Amino acid sequence: MSPRTIYFLAAVVFLAIFLTTAALRYYLRARKSYGATWESLLNRLTFVDRSAIAEIALDVIDESGQQRRDENSAILGSSEVWKLIGGWDGLEANCTVLIDLAFYLQQWYPENALLVAEQLRLNAREIDWHMQRLKSAAKAGKLEDCILMNAQRAAVTYFLMTRKVLALYENSNLPALGALQQRV
Amino acid sequence: MHLTGLDFLLWAAGFLGQSALLFVLWFRRRASEFPLFTAFISSNVARAIALYLVLRFGTRAAYFYTYWSLAILDTLLQLGVVYELASHVFRPLGSWAKDVRSSCLWLAGFSIAVAAGLSWLADPHTRFWLQVFMIRGNLFSSVLISELFVAMIALSVGAGLPWKAHVVRISQGLGIYSVIDFLIEAGHSYFGLSQGTWVYHELSQIRIAVFLACVAYWNATLWRDAPPAREMSDRMYRELSALNLLVGSQLQNLRSRRQW
Repeated sequence: MSPRTIYFLAAVVFLAIFLTTAALRYYLRARKSYGATWESLLNRLTFVDRSAIAEIALDVIDESGQQRRDENSAILGSSEVWKLIGGWDGLEANCTVLIDLAFYLQQWYPENALLVAEQLRLNAREIDWHMQRLKSAAKAGKLEDCILMNAQRAAVTYFLMTRKVLALYENSNLPALGALQQRV
Repeated sequence: MHLTGLDFLLWAAGFLGQSALLFVLWFRRRASEFPLFTAFISSNVARAIALYLVLRFGTRAAYFYTYWSLAILDTLLQLGVVYELASHVFRPLGSWAKDVRSSCLWLAGFSIAVAAGLSWLADPHTRFWLQVFMIRGNLFSSVLISELFVAMIALSVGAGLPWKAHVVRISQGLGIYSVIDFLIEAGHSYFGLSQGTWVYHELSQIRIAVFLACVAYWNATLWRDAPPAREMSDRMYRELSALNLLVGSQLQNLRSRRQW
């Protein structure tokens, strides 16, 4: 058997195992999402200090979501933002749940909730992107430089997004609104 | 060309199974939702008839050229079906979701590169150069389609985009078939044609049998209706519409904040 044939067979085996494993892994993840219920999704939410998130967000925007331009705006430093945000674990975990909530809405209310759900999904993905940037910065020892750029923006997006989710739940008369308000 | 009883059985089963699937697609009104998939199945039915007629009344050379011309069409239509399924998943609002556009292009480019690399690495032993070209071409298309299916699943799960019921069923069948087809084409490349055609022939029969199983699965699952969407009250619909306006305006605000 020629070396080229050996390389070919090795590549085929590697690719076949990789494709099968990846397909199974993502297929099982997708099945888990399809089987989710409102209650199971809510139970996955972790507690995030909403007052701290609001404090970071309202440092640069007002209650209506408009950017603040007064002299008392944007006064938080990176160390204060980082302390208030308390790391990224809670936000990151909840982003995943919010993406699943959007998935649920798109799946079961494709005609009515599609636009809102798609917007929630895109916002959650954007926050997730900022979180990944923060992680990379932490690994490279450049966290301080990144905090104001990414963490504060992520907090603002999270703040606005969770407000939309709460409004959606409230409008839908869903019974778990109280539990959601406590967690997000 | 000598054909066995099993060859005729597979041919007849393929023709009947895919004709039944065409009936299901039109009768249950799935054809308008999946026009490329319908075209793919239609071309398979037409190909079965054309090849039978050429085999019975034509020459060996005519059969060869008809077979490979239609095989190219088959590959193009399969790629079209992948695009059609991706459109159903990644265009929830009618245009490609902006968070997956670059990933889609990157994954498609990477899949083409891997498929081209593996086809180049294949070194099938054959009698004629044209056979090498055919075997490598088949390997390329099978690797590419199986990679695209897996990439599509991974990307949609990561992005949190749901699949509609019939999109899932078509993808499951074509996805499983494409991965098995990749292994069979790899077998064709390894065994080649220099020692005769029987291994090539046996592997091809396995591939056709797998495809027939997929056709049976599609017949059963596309006949059934998708689970109905849940109904919203009028009040909820009005409130959601108002919320949509709010979301749109907040998004514009977020996009305009460049200085953060």
